[in-house]
Amino acid sequence: MTALSPSHLSQDQIRRQYVIRSSLFLAGYVAVNMAAIFGAFDDAKPRGAIALALVVVAPLAGHIWALLAYMRDADEFMRAVMARRFIISSGITMALTCAWGFMESYAHAWHAPGFLVYPLFWLVHGAVSPFIRSSN
Amino acid sequence: MKNHLKVLRAQRGLTQEDLSQELGVSRQAVNALETEKHSPSLDLAYRIAAVFDLPIDQIFESPYEKTKKIGRGK
Repeated sequence: MTALSPSHLSQDQIRRQYVIRSSLFLAGYVAVNMAAIFGAFDDAKPRGAIALALVVVAPLAGHIWALLAYMRDADEFMRAVMARRFIISSGITMALTCAWGFMESYAHAWHAPGFLVYPLFWLVHGAVSPFIRSSN
Repeated sequence: MKNHLKVLRAQRGLTQEDLSQELGVSRQAVNALETEKHSPSLDLAYRIAAVFDLPIDQIFESPYEKTKKIGRGK
């Protein structure tokens, strides 16, 4: 019997596509950071340093694109659940980073680099996901 | 949304995986529909109706049909 899906890909194929894309982008992120840690960009001039910062962040932008593409192609239930998880994780992450920012300003907390927002977001996402299993 | 999806699926000897493939959705989506954790869009409701060859209102219970509820109560 023919599937009545509007997409030409099955849900398994869509999920596999997301895993592959995510793995490639995160591998790129690790590779660029490892190269930077081991001094590959130590001689970069100021303009080069800005370019390097953009190069480092490009795989993260790619990873977000992969997630949004997954949400676009997934079925309506998965899309709704993923959207709820994404929105709630974003809200909690924003609240935490704002709170930390004020703690830096008023309570002399140590300065947290901005790039920690991304792993913090995924940490929060992992923590809230088991509790968000409904689209209602 | 209350529905008879689980019963209809069992009557036809389909697993959640079978039904999910016919509908073009994930198995989790079928499970969520059966356990009322997801209210389907009109499009998905029509797809389900097409698979079972039944009108939508014989698969999903309308929460807005007061006359039926009153009738049952009498």
